Amino acid sequence: MHSLYQRANGLTGLLSSCLIGLLALVALTSFLFPAHPKGDVNIKTLKVRWGQIDRHPAQEWAFVQFDLQTDLESLFHWNTKQLFVYLVAEYTGSKGVANEVVLWDRIAKIKYVFRDFNKTFRNASAVELSVRYNVMPYVGVLTSGEVGRTSKERFPALQTQG
Amino acid sequence: MFSDEIRTIQKLGVRYVVLQVLNFTQVIISGLMIWKALGIVTNTESPIVVVLSGSMEPAFYRGDLLFLMNPRNTPYVVGDITVYKVPGADIPIVHRVIETHTVGPLPTDQSLLTKGDNNRLDDLELYKGLRWLQRKNIIGKVHGFLPYVGYVTIAMNDFPQLKYALLGFLGLMALIQRES
Repeated sequence: MHSLYQRANGLTGLLSSCLIGLLALVALTSFLFPAHPKGDVNIKTLKVRWGQIDRHPAQEWAFVQFDLQTDLESLFHWNTKQLFVYLVAEYTGSKGVANEVVLWDRIAKIKYVFRDFNKTFRNASAVELSVRYNVMPYVGVLTSGEVGRTSKERFPALQTQG
Repeated sequence: MFSDEIRTIQKLGVRYVVLQVLNFTQVIISGLMIWKALGIVTNTESPIVVVLSGSMEPAFYRGDLLFLMNPRNTPYVVGDITVYKVPGADIPIVHRVIETHTVGPLPTDQSLLTKGDNNRLDDLELYKGLRWLQRKNIIGKVHGFLPYVGYVTIAMNDFPQLKYALLGFLGLMALIQRES
């Protein structure tokens, strides 16, 4: 004979075992996707200035401008929540201290989707991309502008998956 | 209210109750032993931690479960997500290493700086007077992740009544549950 308690216990036990099994499968399949991320980074300028920033004592500060091109698409699969992409400076100081310092980071995740109001891009006009910014002041008026624009590109025909 | 249960216990006799109490303690002790054994294998005082703040969002949210390791001779590198506790602080903090400075002869003699992905500033303010984080302040590096599961412990800390109710219920069930 099974009491209500035993039935509830058996059911929740079975359900949580199934859930754990499923999660383990998802976690393990992550290793099946081939990852071949590519990238290219170059230093444009490297400057050293003396001064005082925020809460730090007065000292020297280095400033780097860099160009970065990456293709990280292969890292995105069904178990990728986000990427933390970061730029690291490596050097050895005058007293032999080996340093690694993060200079810049970007969290890459699928944030926006691109779809048409009528569910299809067929017969749509060519598309243009533009880079715009918003200035958020500590106090006062918000301003905005545009800094770049691509040429027009036609939407290709629908591709089948693969 | 519990008259039925009390009658059951009386019917079963002292020997049975003692056996059940022993079973219950065995469950608790083996849990503790597994925890401590995990701690020895991973070389960390707490191999599993629950995220308590939102400073690493959107990577980790409150209530997510993290699995830590702290291999003795492996230096930390920038980008590692670590859990650390500085003297004088009550709760461990889960943040990312953003600077490493190898100051000593060993690769593990490091001065570290950390920052929460979701914070604007680095953690200097959280170090309670320390200028850099040392290896001895670090509990471990995050190697695994399981979402939401740890929220139970947060709920039990926020509502202590829940904790006592759950413990009392489990204890009672262990005592009066009859093996079929």
